[in-house]
Amino acid sequence: MEIIDCDVHPLESPEHPLQPFVPNDIREAVKQGMASMPGAGYANPFGVIRRDATCVDPVAAGRDYLDPYNVRFAVLQPQGIYAGLTHNIDVANGMARAWNDWQTATFLDADPRFLGSISVNMNDPKAAAREIRRVGSHKQLVQVLVTGESTHLYGHRAYDEVYEACCEMGLVFALHPGAEGARTPSTPVGMPSSYFEWHTTLPLTFQAHCVSLIAEGTFERFPSLNVLLVEGGIGWLPSLLWRMDKNFKALRSTVPWLRRLPSEYALEHIRLTTQPIEEPPDSEKLLQLFGMLHAETILCYSSDYPHWDFDDPRKALPSRMPSDLAQRIFYDNAADLYGLPPANREGRISEEAK
Amino acid sequence: MSYKTTTSPAPLDQAFDIIRRAGPAKAREGIRVLVARDVDIAEGARLIVEPRPGLSVGVFRIDGSLRAIKNVCPHNGAPLCRGTLHASHEPGETREFHPGLVGRVLRCPWHGWEFDVVTGKALYDAKSRVATYPVEVDDGSVYVVL
Repeated sequence: MEIIDCDVHPLESPEHPLQPFVPNDIREAVKQGMASMPGAGYANPFGVIRRDATCVDPVAAGRDYLDPYNVRFAVLQPQGIYAGLTHNIDVANGMARAWNDWQTATFLDADPRFLGSISVNMNDPKAAAREIRRVGSHKQLVQVLVTGESTHLYGHRAYDEVYEACCEMGLVFALHPGAEGARTPSTPVGMPSSYFEWHTTLPLTFQAHCVSLIAEGTFERFPSLNVLLVEGGIGWLPSLLWRMDKNFKALRSTVPWLRRLPSEYALEHIRLTTQPIEEPPDSEKLLQLFGMLHAETILCYSSDYPHWDFDDPRKALPSRMPSDLAQRIFYDNAADLYGLPPANREGRISEEAK
Repeated sequence: MSYKTTTSPAPLDQAFDIIRRAGPAKAREGIRVLVARDVDIAEGARLIVEPRPGLSVGVFRIDGSLRAIKNVCPHNGAPLCRGTLHASHEPGETREFHPGLVGRVLRCPWHGWEFDVVTGKALYDAKSRVATYPVEVDDGSVYVVL
């Protein structure tokens, strides 16, 4: 079966350094340490990159990952996602630009199977919108990428200009964990003391952003905006949809611009990626969960290659999943989201014939 | 397994269209049951009556007119008519509040679901509705028509 993988991390390396792409006007500032950040949050004590894999070179990544797994498209989520955390706002804008040009020159130009994410500095929404318009017409750039850590909830009006640019350029707005806890506690009730706690509670941030985007009327203002929640877990979604719809019956008057049940906005505008997939002891429970969260519409496969919690497309999802649901999750949902060509059915047949 | 994600027009626009189009309660053939004296229900007040054993109905005076609505919330069967009357916001542009339906929105005393007393229409979807009954006033007496 052909696959679209919505989360692959290209890494900067000495062979493909970022430095040549840093705009001239901020090079001296970067040398002076002005690209400093508050830190990247919690670190996995055992490392984030798989010991047996990396993703520093497009040719090697194609050979080691895309080819053997029949990945037709891989959506890259570069380290530029952290650009917006940079202390200096103007240096942050320049770094976002650098990462975008690095990604295009290093990966997108090398292999059409790589699709890219536009890094932006959300602390300067005007500049973010400018950057989206500068590079957004590149055919392989399919989304704007931001961290879960943010100054405001993403339904906040401060980000209107960014969403306007996304809609204008036909780009998805994608949210990926990153640096939660770098500036403020990663949970609303304090700082976790371990990466175990931090990683397990990432869905808190995602739920908060998800409710904010819906409740603030973002999808009423921007009816063509689609949001992809990457690596934030999936098990919380049914509960969130049910809680929102129940509360709406009593509290609609506080969000009177909503013209539909909150769940309808989610099902139309929000998509979730699979990795790191919840793994109940009985995989049948996962299939029940898929039913509850409308996986046939909402879920898009992702691997997180080459990170430590990589989900192997052949192993991670229940083997008893109906083939039409697998087709939706592994390919069609992402193809619909990004406007990509339909799956090559011949590839599917030859895979099954093995 | 597919989920219909778009309905047109939007459910809340449909709900408020029903509410805005509401005219005076239509006369209806039925059993006229004496439930109160006209003077017993002041403007903005209500009386909970039992026109038939087992049927509880709230009679409200809103903008001078008497309105009768079944005293059962469709959610969990709460005594709806013991809830508060207030205004609500009508659907509008984002970031705008449009107060409306002043004094005719009944909020269920249990979970706060909202209903328009005049039409019985729920304010949260296109279809949910609580039964309403015509009210007639004759020679100082209030009748609910079942």
